[in-house]
Amino acid sequence: MAGTSTTVDLGDLRARRGADVRGQIFLVLLVASVILAFAMVGAVFYDVTLDAWDIISQRFWDFLRMPSSSDPTKAGVAQGIRGSLLIALIVVATFPIGIAGAIYLEEYADDTWSTRLIQVTVRNLAGVPSIVYGLLGLAVFVQSLRGLTGGSSVIAAGLTLAVLVLPVVVITSAEAVRAVPPSLREGAYGLGATQWEVIRTQVVPAALPGILTGTVLAVARALGEAAPLLVIGAAGFYTTGNLDFLEQTQGAFTALPMNIANFARLPAETWRGHAAAASVVLLVLVFIVNLVAIIARARISKKLGR
Amino acid sequence: MPTLASRAWIAGIEVLLFLVLSLGFALAEYFVSGLFTDFGPSNFWLAFVVLAGWNAWHFAGSQTALGAAAGHYVLTLDGEPASVLTTAVRQLIRFGVLYGIPVLAIDFDLRVGLLVWLAVAVVIRSTPAHRAPWDLAAGTILASDIGPPQGLAPLPVVRDAGDLRLDPRRAKLDRRASRLMFLAGLTSVVISALIVWNIFTEAWTFVADDEFSWGILTDRGWFPRDGEFDLSTLFVGTLWITGIAMLVAGPVGLGVAFYLSEYASPRVRGMVKPLIETLASVPSVVLGLFAISFIAPEILQRIFDDIGIFSLLAAGIGVGILTVPIVASISEDAMRAVPMELREASYGLGGRKVTTALRVVFPAALSGISAAAIVGISRAIGETMVVFIAAGGNGVFNTDPVDQGQTITAAMASLGAGTDQVAGSGLAFQSLYFLGALLFVMTMLLNIVSDVIVRRFRQVY
Repeated sequence: MAGTSTTVDLGDLRARRGADVRGQIFLVLLVASVILAFAMVGAVFYDVTLDAWDIISQRFWDFLRMPSSSDPTKAGVAQGIRGSLLIALIVVATFPIGIAGAIYLEEYADDTWSTRLIQVTVRNLAGVPSIVYGLLGLAVFVQSLRGLTGGSSVIAAGLTLAVLVLPVVVITSAEAVRAVPPSLREGAYGLGATQWEVIRTQVVPAALPGILTGTVLAVARALGEAAPLLVIGAAGFYTTGNLDFLEQTQGAFTALPMNIANFARLPAETWRGHAAAASVVLLVLVFIVNLVAIIARARISKKLGR
Repeated sequence: MPTLASRAWIAGIEVLLFLVLSLGFALAEYFVSGLFTDFGPSNFWLAFVVLAGWNAWHFAGSQTALGAAAGHYVLTLDGEPASVLTTAVRQLIRFGVLYGIPVLAIDFDLRVGLLVWLAVAVVIRSTPAHRAPWDLAAGTILASDIGPPQGLAPLPVVRDAGDLRLDPRRAKLDRRASRLMFLAGLTSVVISALIVWNIFTEAWTFVADDEFSWGILTDRGWFPRDGEFDLSTLFVGTLWITGIAMLVAGPVGLGVAFYLSEYASPRVRGMVKPLIETLASVPSVVLGLFAISFIAPEILQRIFDDIGIFSLLAAGIGVGILTVPIVASISEDAMRAVPMELREASYGLGGRKVTTALRVVFPAALSGISAAAIVGISRAIGETMVVFIAAGGNGVFNTDPVDQGQTITAAMASLGAGTDQVAGSGLAFQSLYFLGALLFVMTMLLNIVSDVIVRRFRQVY
């Protein structure tokens, strides 16, 4: 142990007779807290499914393909699903920036004050509450870049969430790149490869499973975020009319979490079921994204022979 | 040789793939109306056809070097490599059984069909390929079950390094790549600069506005549209939410961490940890819904007589549930980082397990555990949607947790939810940024403190 010495008082440790009552109580408490945590997980999924059951059993396909409506028997989340998928697409499209940033930090940057500044900034950005990113989105993507995004549009939302998950992508990718053994790089350098060639042919392939995990976590997070969308002006309820696809990307939009928040805040109890059914759709979407990552990761690892 | 469990797992993935495909067709049909007939069982048949085709193609491809590298070797009964045609026929026969029957059943009833499917898939996959009737009918053997055949061993990969003296083109590419990476690294700095600049200039216009006086920050309550911006209302709400959340997440998270790091066998740990982590991937809107549809009516209303659906208490518990996995995973990391020697020394002195955990591991991991608490607090302060949905805040000053309340984040969300009216209406819009600045500073300070704690008190073992 370096530095300060720690004094540990172990008490009277002569072997005591009798049962270890304190130890048993402690263990019971620990197991109880684990069970409590399980109960939380179980209760969330059970309650949401139970509330959603009416809609799932009666008109689930209908619920998936109908737009928002003020009639509870007709309302659906098709717009939300579309919005969420488009947002996810935009977020994925910006991943190369985050991954390249991580590669810069790990492979190129020397340990100077500017590098450390970037590292500290990224770490702190990851801890900034999501709603603050909404303010950034409102000011930059909705107001300043109105010409590009068309105001409160799904493009602005996608870019805002892309910025939101950027730190997560950078941090996890940097960890994956750091874990690549130096011998791989040295071998490639020894064969005369340039730094870029080393990165492209050795570092990135070897770090790919880790990078993939991080990016998928980021997609899952972006799919579930509602607070920034609320600030940049996602609609809870709107009608699209006969706009074509391009016009729709620049007009009013919504996303699944916004649907849920909107349904949940409606005063009438009848809409609780809609909120729950939309939650089930969102949870399934997040689950699928995670599953894709697990499978892809397994395949890549196998291909790399590790 | 794959185990039964892994076969069942693969079958499950296939079922899921099938459902995703069906859903994809349904979506495509929704976007381009009239693309397929109508939405219903027909989409299952479409998905079936695509899966069958893909599967046949995939295995036919295995007769090429590419498929061989993936470990699929379809042989004839004589042990010779099967032709592409034979392989495709084998796959189609196999598919007729594996997918045809369940899809028929799905057409009849979705749930029954899926069960039939899983059952059929598991049975088929647990039959050794070289004895399976459908394989014998097609006259083939799947050799990945009995090892690679001699003739089809994967070709060794030869990389031609070529002349590696640095030619100008490669040098240029290298320089360009490094500049591009640097720009990407700079992006995060630019973004944080943008955040800080934006929020603080807008917050400044709030303070510098003619209508602003420090008096409006201590008023009757938080009513931005009436020009009343009582901060204490929001602070009290935020304090309650954070306090309640930590009362829930602290003990549970710490208990889970102790159990996982000190008591659980690797096998138990491997099962418990992913389950706890699923909680981390639940979106916060869902937790908000859970708070008003379960926590408030099923739990709180049975304990308190006068509590409504919306209350700070319900929202705080919801936020606490969200914070459990964060506290648990950071504290567990800290405890596992405590070297085994310390525990062994304690045992050597006759310390019992509980003594070791509480008086050796706990103090040694204290810095990490307090960092976990701070990150949890920072997360709870910044959590928006649970409070927005479940606390029902109306801006009235209130110190009673069983009543409704408003936090900083929920106040911002309420302002944002009416963005169209807020934009341009002077102080109300600017107050959004003022709150954002407050929130930014608070969480930033907490993050820095936790960073410093971890660094300063990290013992180098």
